[in-house]
Amino acid sequence: MNKKVLVVDDDPDVRSFVVTVLEENDYIPIVAHDGIEGLEMIEQEHPDLVILDVLMPRGSGIRLYRHLKTDEALKNLPVIMFTGIALRSFLKSQKALDEFKGGQIPMPDIYLEKPVEPEELVQAIQKKIG
Amino acid sequence: MSANKILIVDDEEIIVRLLSMSLRSDGYETITAFNGEQGLAAFKSESPDIVVTDIKMPGMDGLELLKKIKEIDIETEVIIVTGHGDIDSTITALQYGASDFINKPVRDEALAIALERAKAKIHIRERLDEYTKNLEQKILEATEEIRRKSNFQKLLIRSSNDAIVAFDHEWKIVVYNPEAARMFGEKTIDVKNIMTIQDLYTPKTAKIFKAEVKNLPDPTDMPWKEMMLQTRDGRQIPVQYTTNVLREEGEFMGIVNFFQDLTEIKRLEKELVQSERLAAVGQTVSGLAHYVKNILIGLKGGSYVVDVGMKKNNTEKLKIGWETIKKNIARVADLTQDLLTYSKEREPEFELCSPNEIVEDVIDLICDVAAGNNIKIVKETDAAVGEVMVDPRTIHRSLLNLVNNAMDACMEDEDTSKKFEIGIKTRRGPGNSICLEVKDNGCGMDEETRKQLFNPMFSTKSGKGTGLGLLVTGKLVEEHKGSIETITQLGQGTTFIVKLPYEIAGAVDIKEDGL
Repeated sequence: MNKKVLVVDDDPDVRSFVVTVLEENDYIPIVAHDGIEGLEMIEQEHPDLVILDVLMPRGSGIRLYRHLKTDEALKNLPVIMFTGIALRSFLKSQKALDEFKGGQIPMPDIYLEKPVEPEELVQAIQKKIG
Repeated sequence: MSANKILIVDDEEIIVRLLSMSLRSDGYETITAFNGEQGLAAFKSESPDIVVTDIKMPGMDGLELLKKIKEIDIETEVIIVTGHGDIDSTITALQYGASDFINKPVRDEALAIALERAKAKIHIRERLDEYTKNLEQKILEATEEIRRKSNFQKLLIRSSNDAIVAFDHEWKIVVYNPEAARMFGEKTIDVKNIMTIQDLYTPKTAKIFKAEVKNLPDPTDMPWKEMMLQTRDGRQIPVQYTTNVLREEGEFMGIVNFFQDLTEIKRLEKELVQSERLAAVGQTVSGLAHYVKNILIGLKGGSYVVDVGMKKNNTEKLKIGWETIKKNIARVADLTQDLLTYSKEREPEFELCSPNEIVEDVIDLICDVAAGNNIKIVKETDAAVGEVMVDPRTIHRSLLNLVNNAMDACMEDEDTSKKFEIGIKTRRGPGNSICLEVKDNGCGMDEETRKQLFNPMFSTKSGKGTGLGLLVTGKLVEEHKGSIETITQLGQGTTFIVKLPYEIAGAVDIKEDGL
């Protein structure tokens, strides 16, 4: 059975690109426009993988990611961070947030900096869910 | 100098010797003579201060001697010794200028008194002489001082960096310094004491100054003002100027104008603004790189989708991919336009147009995106705005930018229960101006953000904005001599009010007006 992949990104260009890549590689794409909608979709659709943008209006990727990793039921859901933000900036923000909130959130399994070639994205997905 | 030397003349030798002895014992220096001729010779050779002479003498008598002495030195004190009742000769002696008379026989006390009087007169005269000399010296010094001061003032006026033009009560030019000659381009020789205000200034400028003199209650202390000075040879010089009315005891004497050429300052100001702007563009580059990367992501993604569409003969994919590409090409075009607008000096191009129609155009451009994000656009255009002389590009660009920002502010808002609304208003402003208002009820801004709004590279849109939008809007509005006001409250929304002055059609030119 084909795996279901959720794309959370506010940029329609990115969504149509990722959706097309997923379709071409026999995944079932579902989309959300922001972090809040993203969480709703995860709870309703139970995707196998989330491809998550970092900076979005209304519930950023950072917030959704932290939510996922601190929720017992969801913390094993694989997440690929897919963003224009440099990894270093992202790690810095995570560290600051850890210190501020206490505890430590595990780093994302895979962090892809846009732009990426379709093959690169496919490899990353396959690595997580085959 | 004390009057100490006395010449005694008398034909009676004994009297002369007695007087001489007595005077010597009083501390005088004496010279004696026994007739008129001897007396005159002694006077010439010894120059005594006082002469005491008998009237009656054989040969040259006392009156004759008196006359001769007075011819030589009118100031010599001559005391005449007369016999009793010798009225006629006394009167003659007075006419000749005798200073005093004593009666024969000469008593020591009488002589002493006469001598004291003579000495006192000499003393007074000497002091008077001294005073007069002093006075002459002082007048010389004062004259020299005045000359120096006047020269200094002339030099000051000549060498002043200000152009100085002064008019007398009939508006004739009486002061016209070299800087004025440079500024107005007329030679001093052709202007000073020849031209009047109308000959040198354009009628418009002359009118301004005449009106200033008339209208101001206290025109002695006028502030510096700026104006564009027009010379008769057609040059335009930015100047700051001030006027002083010269009055003496309330009487109008004339006016003086000071002009400072601001050409260089204006040029430097422009250069500074230009270089600051270039620096700002430099700072913006890092922010821009991010934005450009996003465009690249869009283009790459779009071309991949197009590839897939072609391979699979999938029209839907082709359409989506192609739209993405087109959208990102437009973003590149906009960015280029913004960069050019921002980095270049631009004069607004005024033309008669309808701001309300521009509002319609802008709404046409954004209505799809607004609808797609559930944002209602409310238009409130005032027909009274009508057609005005403005730069339509300034209005279009500013409005589009502000409305796009307003939409972003709505989309950023985390309060999804809101019914988002953007109001676009036009109205007439104070004076010859129009107001454009863009109001949203989106996320609003905190004070920190509001302060940085017009800073280069400042963007709240993390790579989705260039940080150029408001910068460009601000610059366009500024070049249009307008202003932008921002009212914002965090969580409540933001209102931008742009005020733009418009030009009056058939612009003012009172050059040929009478004065």
